Amino acid sequence: MISALSNSLSSLGIGRTQAPTLTPPTAGAANAAPATGFADAMAEVASDAARSLRSAETVSIGGINGQMTTQAVAEAVMNAERTLQTAVAVRDKAVAAYLELSRMSI
Amino acid sequence: MIDSVSAALKIASSGLEAQSTRLRVVSENVANARSTGDTPGADPYRRKTVSFAGELDRITGAELVRIKDVALDRSDFRTEYDPGNPAADADGYVKLPNVSMLVEMADMREANRSYEANLQVIKQARELVNLTIDLMRG
Repeated sequence: MISALSNSLSSLGIGRTQAPTLTPPTAGAANAAPATGFADAMAEVASDAARSLRSAETVSIGGINGQMTTQAVAEAVMNAERTLQTAVAVRDKAVAAYLELSRMSI
Repeated sequence: MIDSVSAALKIASSGLEAQSTRLRVVSENVANARSTGDTPGADPYRRKTVSFAGELDRITGAELVRIKDVALDRSDFRTEYDPGNPAADADGYVKLPNVSMLVEMADMREANRSYEANLQVIKQARELVNLTIDLMRG
């Protein structure tokens, strides 16, 4: 599930780099830096979500084994939930913007 | 730099840890309220006290709470006349722990209330985060 999420998000991040090609070619060079910035940001969100989900899983297993306190398990799981919700919301927004672009009449 | 709502969550969970340790110490005191020594005239269980301290979290810049010390209560033991007890001294008096049930119950209630307060902070902060994320969904 984690890899699926990060794959979808990172592929989305790569997909979004194609959007600046819609801008005039002369501005392409200037836009190159912000474009990678956006892809980087998306990749960061994805890897952050994956990392916090993974740590939540580790802590949960530790909790089942009795090595972690209930509070630590709850905190890690809530942290993962928050990151995942943020990632999903950002992805939804990005996908909506992408669809908006694809529906644009030429 | 972490956002303040997440910092509040982190602080509240450190409060949960601290209060649960406090509850553990109270339960040790209650369970050992009549634990005497093994040999005649030996000291019985000594009441434990817990103290908290603020701790600056370098990553978030938030002031967390931590257990500073689990110390021993140095007050005098109670004595009870019970010559048949193995821990009784030459005069027949047994030293009993300096645990007062009333104090322990009050302490437990306070730990419970503080725990609930921290849980409430977590609930509130979580709701705020969810509401903020929902802004993106509109």
